[in-house]
Amino acid sequence: MRVAAWLLLLLAPAASARTPEYDARVRSVIAAYAHPKAAGPLGYANIAAKLWLHEDAALCSRRLDELLAAGPTGDMFWMFPVTAIAYLDGGQLSSQARTALRRSFKTYMPYRGDTENHWLLYYTSLYLMAQMWPDQEGSEWYTGKSSAENRREAAEWIEGWVRLTTRRGQGEYDSPHYMGLYFLSMSYLAEWATDAAMKKRATMMLDYLIADYAAENLDGIFVGAHSRVYDNPVVEKWNNVSSDFGWLLFHLGRPLDPPDSYVIFYALASAYEPPEILKRIATDRSEPYTHYERKRTRNRWRFNDELHGPVYKTTYVRKEYAVSSDQGGILQPIQEHSWDVTWSVPDPRGVHNTLFTLQPYSSLYELETYFTFPPDTSIAGVVSSKKSYDSPDKLVGGSPYEKIFQDQDTVIALYDIAPGTRFPQINGFFSKDLAEVEEDKSGWIFARGGEALIAFRPLQPYSWKPIEGGGRRLFSPYLKNGAVVQVAARAEFGDMGAFRKAMVALPLEYHVEPAPWVRVRSLRGKTLTFAYGETPRVDGKPLDYERWPLFGGPFVEAGVDSEQLILKYGSMRRTLDFRKLTVTDTP
Amino acid sequence: MMQSKGYVVGARLPASGLFLKPANGEWRHAGFNHPFVSALDYDPADPSTVYVAAGNGLIRVTNGGESWKILTGNDVTELQDVSVDRNAPGTVYFAHTAGIRVSRDRGATWQDASAGLHRKYTAALRVDSRHSGYLLAGNEEGVFRSVDGGKSWRLAGAAGFHVLHIEQSPHDPCFWLAGTEGGGLFASSDCGASFESAGNLGVGRNLYDIAFDPGSANRIAVGGWGVGVAVTEDRGKTWELRNAGLPAPSVWSVVFDPAHPGRLYADVHEEALYVSPDAGRTWRKDGLEGAAVYRMRFVPEAAR
Repeated sequence: MRVAAWLLLLLAPAASARTPEYDARVRSVIAAYAHPKAAGPLGYANIAAKLWLHEDAALCSRRLDELLAAGPTGDMFWMFPVTAIAYLDGGQLSSQARTALRRSFKTYMPYRGDTENHWLLYYTSLYLMAQMWPDQEGSEWYTGKSSAENRREAAEWIEGWVRLTTRRGQGEYDSPHYMGLYFLSMSYLAEWATDAAMKKRATMMLDYLIADYAAENLDGIFVGAHSRVYDNPVVEKWNNVSSDFGWLLFHLGRPLDPPDSYVIFYALASAYEPPEILKRIATDRSEPYTHYERKRTRNRWRFNDELHGPVYKTTYVRKEYAVSSDQGGILQPIQEHSWDVTWSVPDPRGVHNTLFTLQPYSSLYELETYFTFPPDTSIAGVVSSKKSYDSPDKLVGGSPYEKIFQDQDTVIALYDIAPGTRFPQINGFFSKDLAEVEEDKSGWIFARGGEALIAFRPLQPYSWKPIEGGGRRLFSPYLKNGAVVQVAARAEFGDMGAFRKAMVALPLEYHVEPAPWVRVRSLRGKTLTFAYGETPRVDGKPLDYERWPLFGGPFVEAGVDSEQLILKYGSMRRTLDFRKLTVTDTP
Repeated sequence: MMQSKGYVVGARLPASGLFLKPANGEWRHAGFNHPFVSALDYDPADPSTVYVAAGNGLIRVTNGGESWKILTGNDVTELQDVSVDRNAPGTVYFAHTAGIRVSRDRGATWQDASAGLHRKYTAALRVDSRHSGYLLAGNEEGVFRSVDGGKSWRLAGAAGFHVLHIEQSPHDPCFWLAGTEGGGLFASSDCGASFESAGNLGVGRNLYDIAFDPGSANRIAVGGWGVGVAVTEDRGKTWELRNAGLPAPSVWSVVFDPAHPGRLYADVHEEALYVSPDAGRTWRKDGLEGAAVYRMRFVPEAAR
């Protein structure tokens, strides 16, 4: 008996190794970069992938030399790939290439940037490089600080970021693009940090960040609302980094082809495989659920008394579709996406499986709130990289004149646009992939997306504008405006006719003067009342924003300021305690 | 001399950061490439030490511009202005996105110096050349004055206007000017205790820089967008726009050459640096083509 017990203990570590299916996906991502389909010189990601596979060391050394000799560029987006190369080297690189890599951290000063992901990448890379070359003087680093000083500064920032995130949420929250940079940073520290606490903290943060995504994904697609999303991926929702991670982590959906470079660096470092409880949360859509989150705004440098304001998110998910929103307002500049309906499709590639509205806001005020640009070049500077920012037909961006309320799969979006606003209108995205679209004489617009039946009630007259790439833009040039949206599964009604009948029968009252106001009976049997700028009510009871959790719902739970997270699935529990750096699993 | 050009984080960066031009020499890029440099000042006790307000923090530059050390940590970013206290050796102040900091030991340690300011984002900062610890700061709510090294502040004027730049006359230390976003120019004749509107110059435009001519007590230049270069010869009673020869009235910075009375430099946004031998009446290019030069300073010979 004693011999058997020792054998079990010795075998125990194997249980935490990657599953063969996951390992195969990791290897396929790495292979895509180690052996790229497209011809051309190797980039940093290709070199890193080859080093992981221990192949072509001479070629990697030569190419790394060339890249560094051409002069580093890209700030933190240069730092993180070369940091991976430094750690994957393991004696494979030539001493010349290794020396050149080290020297570049003396001769090139990366800019630390101005976003949350910039800083996390910058300090993660600096931390690991200072760890790799300890005990060096300030003269050996671009910062002018010693290895110990660099590492301490980086560690403090990373620890502060973890503390802030687990107390108040991320500022650059739920971005289907930038999520990959947070995942890869924690993957680096989980794999390569030698400090046990940093390593543990990073591994726990991987659970935390993955849980944040897992509860709000549908077939691997990160459903809205988002702090930041780009113009095309806001409508072709598959075309985001989240698809790579949905596929890699949970075998959901389809990855990009080739996978985006963020996922390769995640795979090259820890390639952390989420625990079973996260896999269940990510994939079980057998029952509809409502999930709540609190996040924070980006740093507001001007016009506000508090550096951050709260973001209140509601996400309703079922197997056929998801509906998600924040409370509206400018929570992030430029790329905010405040609400949408996302429906499930068998193959999302090229499909615009979403519907939403927005007020296309563009202003110096917004930019000066969040950026330090001089006023005369602010908008032009943004438009140089975010082409649609100052465009009236854009489909991304928050507005101070937009207020949103969601209860389960009902959304009320109200607009009270100040006279003189640059683009005094609302835009509604109606996809080319909607079916059974009908502008009903009742005033409702009915449509079907996949198995989702959608009822959309504009509060003001509108017209249709074509969208390049397909679909139509609902255009309504009224300052006091809004829409009521109700979604249901086709399985609940059988067909559009029955859904239409049910919707038209629902009591709906509204007015737009002096300010937009709506009272509607939802399909879920609740009376929802929302006046622009006032607290929404459900069956007469005001929504309690004060008690809004950091995470709330059937799968993920966390209190504001708790520095804890509880994952829940059936009787399974995983509790992350960042104050104690402990992970507790039950059973 | 500094240059930053339109740039997105992560993109390839053209030569940017600190540029030096020795007397009778040519421009050269010194030290690291850095996309975000806003201002600089030098230590009068050791002019070879220059303090640079930059995106990555407060940077001490020595060795003819080639040796850089970031003096600040992870708690400040995107610095806007820097000013060395001429009467307190080793004391340096800088303005940043979330307030004002001071070091009394040449940047070894820093303390907050913005207590009591309602809104913290501070674009402009100057230490009074006569009195240690007397400060003028400009933020989104106006010009504020401190007489205790930043421990407390009082509104001095330009209330409600975002202040972009503050400058003190070298001839009359009680005369100050402040340039604003949209509100025009504000002047103080009582040593910075109060500021009042100085007329219509720049109203509805943005004034980014102010230069006093060290060789002429009544000559002052102002640079801005829409304004270009405006020059007064009577200490601000009247202003003349002197843009003939400049390609656009989009000016970030102006400075007078202390060694050549009336020689005025102005940077036109992403065009070039221009120099005028006659206080702006005529202009010619002086290099740095394509640059946006946010601040220019003449530094005593030892700095080079």
